[in-house]
Amino acid sequence: MNRLLSKDFLSGVLFIAFGLAALWFGRNLAPGTAVRMGPGYVPHMLSYIMLFLGLIIAIVALYTGGERVETPQWRPITLVTIGIVVFALLFETTGMFPALVALVLIASFGGDEFKLTEVIANIVVLTILCIIVFKVGLGMNIAVINGVW
Amino acid sequence: MDLLANLVIGMKVALSFQNLLYAFVGCMVGTLIGVLPGIGPVATIAMLLPITFHLPPVSALIMLAGIYYGAQYGGSTTSILVNLPGEASSVVTCIDGYQMARNGRAGAALSISALGSFFAGTVGTIIIVLFAQPLTEMAQKFGPADYCSLMALGLVAAIVLASGSVLKAIAMVFLGLLIGLVGTDVNTGAQRFTFDIPELSDGIDFAPVAMGLFGIAEIVVNLERKMSRSGAIKVSSLWPTREETRRAWPAVLRGTTIGSILGVLPGGGPTLGAFSAYTLEKKISRNPGQFGKGAVEGVAAPESANNAAAQTSFIPMLTLGIPSNAVMALMVGAMIIQGIQPGPEVMTKKPDLFWGMIASMWIGNLMLVVINLPMIGMWVKLLTVPYRFLAPAILLFCSIGAYSLQNSTFHVVQVAMFGVLGYVFVRLGCEGAPFLLGLVLGPQMEEYFRRAMLLSRGDPSVFIQRPISLGLLIATAVLLILMALPSLRKAREEAFQEEEA
Repeated sequence: MNRLLSKDFLSGVLFIAFGLAALWFGRNLAPGTAVRMGPGYVPHMLSYIMLFLGLIIAIVALYTGGERVETPQWRPITLVTIGIVVFALLFETTGMFPALVALVLIASFGGDEFKLTEVIANIVVLTILCIIVFKVGLGMNIAVINGVW
Repeated sequence: MDLLANLVIGMKVALSFQNLLYAFVGCMVGTLIGVLPGIGPVATIAMLLPITFHLPPVSALIMLAGIYYGAQYGGSTTSILVNLPGEASSVVTCIDGYQMARNGRAGAALSISALGSFFAGTVGTIIIVLFAQPLTEMAQKFGPADYCSLMALGLVAAIVLASGSVLKAIAMVFLGLLIGLVGTDVNTGAQRFTFDIPELSDGIDFAPVAMGLFGIAEIVVNLERKMSRSGAIKVSSLWPTREETRRAWPAVLRGTTIGSILGVLPGGGPTLGAFSAYTLEKKISRNPGQFGKGAVEGVAAPESANNAAAQTSFIPMLTLGIPSNAVMALMVGAMIIQGIQPGPEVMTKKPDLFWGMIASMWIGNLMLVVINLPMIGMWVKLLTVPYRFLAPAILLFCSIGAYSLQNSTFHVVQVAMFGVLGYVFVRLGCEGAPFLLGLVLGPQMEEYFRRAMLLSRGDPSVFIQRPISLGLLIATAVLLILMALPSLRKAREEAFQEEEA
């Protein structure tokens, strides 16, 4: 089982998956001929190369084993991703300030230490900084709180 | 003298108040992110790219360049004082720099590395001036097939420098090329891999990709590691002793030479330069036992080399339009944003931009010595800011930066998606830099490939019939074969192991 969880084998699988996905989603693109290449010529070529390389990497990894992939810690990656997506959702609907608060709060939960006073201080400093840099300094057209400022 | 006239044009541009200001801002930001571990020049430049919309092209490029070489200066401070590399290129500086600091010679180590860097930066700038013209003239003879082969060489060279498996690095380049296809096909207008999302029809912007791969993924990995900081060592006198100066000078010269050469090579850059310079010093030293215990040469050589390489790595980008590393790929992007197609025409059509940028590099280097040495106390203070404050701030700036690219939250979501992908890459030991280079070069490469094949009526032998293209392809093949040779593979692995250790 160890070999199936090696970094190299999983990378091979990832590359194969990308190759297959590109072939599938690009199936309607006309390849054309070598003289008059259609939109699908280069995508098909690259997909097959991707598949080929992925296969080699995976097969070699099956024979040689290699370093086992580290068990990921789910908290940082999940919270950071959620934080950015929430920021994206709030930014245009409610304005920069609520989005900023949400992002900093969620992302701070992703770290190992969470002290509310520190996070609040961080939010205050970052809000002031963002207003000065983006709103005043660069004159970007963004609302701090929608409808208010 | 043509060259002198050009330099005068450049100096005039670089010395205008606005450009001096942006050079200074770039150098400050560069030093800042150089000092702070956990954020590098790639993520920073990607973050600031949208801001450069609002600036004139010259000022934008001057500022971005300043960030890049400023980071080389700042990185050494962290290496020497806290034994943490602020940047990948100053990893080796930790070895002897921190030992010097523990022996009470922190000030000397800092000033030697700053002055060595300044010397190297000056030489690097002179080399750019000397090489730019002949290389540009050569590049003007290039046809589509030649460009395609040149890009192939650049991409293969990027693989040589990626750590880990060669095959995986090659696959990463192709994955980058594949992702680069997303968008509208230039020749036929067909939508490729856009999934009916209107934002995707313009293609995938490399700025969110770079922020995701090099910013977000990096933050997540650092959060997992629970970065802890040891206290910084106090700095006393900045003056090196006469003995230290005597030993440092030759090392600075050697480091500058190695760094300049390795910087020009496609795929080269500061990190490789620094490692090679350190290895050389150790080999030729009369008492190699001193290395690792605070040898002056072990600070002087790699610090000069990384700065020299940072300067000369502009050469392929400025003259041929081919980026040699991830930062240069972003610089190409910055030029495209400003409506400038990087390549040999930049020098002839926009001499003020070209020479202004080069002149500003020297001025920037001068500023950096001032920023780094007398103000060292301020940078040391910054090191005491814990990472849990820094991480949300970097995330925030990435998100706002991505939004302001096109005032669209779609790009922010893209940052998050490429952050996840980047995290997967890190866990699987796949390098992000070859991917980014593939992504940036992909669309151009397809364009040249199709044009070359059209001109040759579908005959692929055009790539070996043109002498320039043939030469470049032979160089590419030689590189690939060299990498496959067992002895070289071992040497390469050893070099990267040292980096990881």
